Amino acid sequence: MINLAQKDVQHTLGKFLVTAMGVGMLLGIVLIMIGVYRGMIIDAQVLLDDIGADVWVVQEDTLGPFAEASRVHEDLRDTVRVIDGVKSAEALTFQNIQLPQKPSPVRVVAVGFDPFGTVNPVSSKRMVAGRGLMRSHYEMVVTDKTGYHVGDVIRLLRHDYHVVGVTHGTVSSGGEPLIYVSLKDAQELQFSYSNNRIRTDRARGIEGAEGHMVNAIVARVKPGYSIDEVAKNIETTLHKGVFTATQERTLLTQNLIKMASKQIGMFTGILVVVSTIIIALIIYTMTLEKIKEIAIMKLVGIPNSMIVKMIAQETLLLGVLAFIFANLFSHLIYSKFPKRVVLEIPDAWMLFAVVIVASLLASLAGIKKVISADPQAAIGG
Amino acid sequence: MAGKAGIRVENLYKHFGKGDTLVRVIEGASFEVNKGELVALIAPSGAGKTTLLMMIGCVEEPTSGTIWLGDEKVYEDKWLTKETRKIRREKIGFIFQAHYLIPFLNVIENVTLVPQTNGVSEAEANKIAMELLEYFDIGDKARSMPSALSGGQNQRVAIARALANKPQIILADEPTAALDSKRSVDVVKMLKKIAIEQNVAVIMVTHDEAMLPLCDRILKIEDKKVVSEPVPKEGVAIL
Repeated sequence: MINLAQKDVQHTLGKFLVTAMGVGMLLGIVLIMIGVYRGMIIDAQVLLDDIGADVWVVQEDTLGPFAEASRVHEDLRDTVRVIDGVKSAEALTFQNIQLPQKPSPVRVVAVGFDPFGTVNPVSSKRMVAGRGLMRSHYEMVVTDKTGYHVGDVIRLLRHDYHVVGVTHGTVSSGGEPLIYVSLKDAQELQFSYSNNRIRTDRARGIEGAEGHMVNAIVARVKPGYSIDEVAKNIETTLHKGVFTATQERTLLTQNLIKMASKQIGMFTGILVVVSTIIIALIIYTMTLEKIKEIAIMKLVGIPNSMIVKMIAQETLLLGVLAFIFANLFSHLIYSKFPKRVVLEIPDAWMLFAVVIVASLLASLAGIKKVISADPQAAIGG
Repeated sequence: MAGKAGIRVENLYKHFGKGDTLVRVIEGASFEVNKGELVALIAPSGAGKTTLLMMIGCVEEPTSGTIWLGDEKVYEDKWLTKETRKIRREKIGFIFQAHYLIPFLNVIENVTLVPQTNGVSEAEANKIAMELLEYFDIGDKARSMPSALSGGQNQRVAIARALANKPQIILADEPTAALDSKRSVDVVKMLKKIAIEQNVAVIMVTHDEAMLPLCDRILKIEDKKVVSEPVPKEGVAIL
């Protein structure tokens, strides 16, 4: 039996492929949008995973250090260390700075930590060149997206920092590239004021002690101790904001990026609807272009079922081809995006299901046109 | 009805619209076309030739009357079957002014589409189609697309398509209008030959008086009725 859809597609193969490619690019953007969302989730957890802390101690009544600003004294670390069940504790700082990269500056998040402490946020598995920090001052590890390489020298405030290591895939919860400096350098970068400011503060009676502030204290719990209980104990004892790693992760993934994910979800939904409308319009137009042939077929007695099958098969083929092009397109361009895009197979299959349903819905307009086509339209009169 | 009549129409009416906009196209047409007969249907433009053809072809529903196609009464004040398209597919071959081939099917696919839809196997349909295409001297074009053929070749493919389902009736709506006079004579002679060899009733709408002497009879729509006219010996103006 002659497959009308196959014959029609063969006859207009170039046009059909270009159309599928166009729809595929649109669907590819849908995949990229989902990938951006997945990337945000992963980005949000990179730092948490690399630090590997069990408990986060932050400024009281805040959701710091990522969801809200938090400042605590550095020596709080020593107090936390003596709480029952705490194996180790370290101070960390997080701050946005701008590296003077050419042709345009790079905005990064600087993580300050004690290079000789027990918590090293520079994960060895993410190192792609050089080494970690081994000195207390003026060394820096950067992520590759900053464009800096081992041996580069970066001037920040009054000092030159030497790039000693490069990491890959390290970003902040907001997706900005990470750099790592020693805690002392980070404190200086964050809390150093100009001489004029210091003089003015002194005249006001303000004696700055901020040089010893940090943004959070992280602690690891001894084996056999409950993280929740140790966290509760720290909170009761020190009257600080205390979050377990799980709570901190929830703060990041559910609260911090909730709005962004909603926004992306809406964009994705709109794009799917737009894609459906476009497929419907394409199928309708393709049907209209064939209306004379359809009328002839009806006139010579070809049943509606055969003609409807032709339209439905063409629509499905368009959907499948568009889906394939969407995957090719998204895999070709996703690495070019400045922020992490994660393409996952389950998302692709979900989109496939959506595309097939959308295609079948989209073919309804064309099928309606087929059923209502007047056979006499073939000959006029 | 059994016998030699391929088409029998009794007291057929066709009205369009109603009230002030009522248009009476056919008023009580009655005629027969026998198997093996080529009958020309003539009338001035707008007189209802195509409408009459489409009613016989089960495409346009009449207002009232009776239509027999071979032994089967298909219409008596209403369609007697819901499957008018099946009747068209199985009993009728259509030929039009233009070839109206399906552009995305090649020649043999155009010819075999209806037989295959009727359940004939692909191999059998191809055999029938090749015989017809050879008969019309276009066997070598079987795998060509219609766009690669001349107008005359395409018209022969269209006639082959009309014959491929072994119809009892052929309805030809100005099949020579787009052809030159030599090709026109060839096509009408071909229809005459088919009518005789395959014992098919053929009605051919035409404006071309030169074709009338080649026909067995002439039916003319006059005052909304169908009347029989003698076949002119030469090109006598009767339109």
